[in-house]
Amino acid sequence: MMHKLLGAIMILLGCGGFGFSMAARHRRDVRCLQVFLASLDYLECELEYRLTPLPDLCRKVVRICPGAVGKVYDRLASELEGQAVPTVEPCFRQALLSDGELPPNTRAVMEQFGQTLGAFDLSGQLRGIQSVRESGMRTLKTLSDNQFRRIQNYKTLGICAGAALAILLI
Amino acid sequence: MRCAWDALMSILPVSFRAEVDKQGRDGLRELRLRLDKPPELVFAGRRQWLSGRVEKDDLEYCVNVAGKYSPWAAAGIGEGYLTAKGGHRIGICGETAESERGRVNFRSVSSLCIRVARDIPGISAGMEGLQGNILILGRPGSGKTTLLRDYIRRESECMGAHMVVVDERCEIFPSYDGVPMMDTGKATDVLSGCGKAWGVECALRTMSPDRIAVDEITAAGDCDALLKAGRCGVPIVATAHATSIEDLRLRPVYKPLYESRLFDYAVILQPDSAWKGAYIRYDA
Repeated sequence: MMHKLLGAIMILLGCGGFGFSMAARHRRDVRCLQVFLASLDYLECELEYRLTPLPDLCRKVVRICPGAVGKVYDRLASELEGQAVPTVEPCFRQALLSDGELPPNTRAVMEQFGQTLGAFDLSGQLRGIQSVRESGMRTLKTLSDNQFRRIQNYKTLGICAGAALAILLI
Repeated sequence: MRCAWDALMSILPVSFRAEVDKQGRDGLRELRLRLDKPPELVFAGRRQWLSGRVEKDDLEYCVNVAGKYSPWAAAGIGEGYLTAKGGHRIGICGETAESERGRVNFRSVSSLCIRVARDIPGISAGMEGLQGNILILGRPGSGKTTLLRDYIRRESECMGAHMVVVDERCEIFPSYDGVPMMDTGKATDVLSGCGKAWGVECALRTMSPDRIAVDEITAAGDCDALLKAGRCGVPIVATAHATSIEDLRLRPVYKPLYESRLFDYAVILQPDSAWKGAYIRYDA
């Protein structure tokens, strides 16, 4: 009986933990996207005011961008400074690939950003940033809508699924 | 001769670096890359072709690396050139497209002419003490900028003159992260990347210079800027494309400059980079 009880608790904790981790991941996705959108504002100002070259720009953004998004910019700066390829896009792809922590929605928006980076003159680049920002805002809105309820659902579903599995197995 | 050789190497495609380094380290003046042709090294009085052919990616690599992957920061690209780290100027040829706003952009690049920025201390010996506005004349590649650079340093270092350099194309004293990559002399201030008219005006208002140096006068706009800035009480030294005073007089773009009698002394560079100077005698 003791073993069964222990097993049930472990199943409950495992499933509950999964639910809680899903909720944390969702929160992290929202936070990362907010950080990325803030970095776009900074990029835009820096470009308009100083026409800063891309590797220097990335290094500057790293200072204001914490976490996974900052790591992508840091990696991109290193890739560009390494001067291994003729265009920015492969450098950006490489920077994204090297970071496994980036949440999926932020990654998707950043991939779109990488396609426009360093390909046009100032006005083209600013339009590219604007387009990525709009796309990011839409994704953020989708993620933020009912965020509280969604997070509660992940947690509840995790615990309930654990409980159901424990009842079925015991 | 001094030159930012490592900076030059860093903008070249990896496939050519070793060969250019081996063949060109002593006295390379230009490197010409043409699509589907072997790279050409130009020295004083001789040329040499390397093995291998230049590919599209090689040209794209040079342009993007020299412009730090940032078309917005490579200001001269619309005028067919860009200045790379170390002050090396890259001339661009290829298929262009003119936008509705009149801006010329490159649709594709087919050839590049990379001119090696050189620094030869001491070549301006003999120019000390020259009074008035000085114009350095010479054909492209004759060493006008190299002479001007040494003159600025000499005036600043030996004569103690406060020299202000308005370096529109960032090639007289190229800098990296704001730090000049060549010796400027102890009393030289460099204003780079801005237009001549604004730069000279700004230098006059804020830096109280003893002499102002500007880079190449190539267009009517440059002449206008100098005409506005000239006779302001501060002598100007500049460079222009011409092989003689007669050339200067006859070239339509320089006509206003000649007619205004702005420059007092001309330094004319010979094809072998030796120079001779003379006060300009204007027609009555």
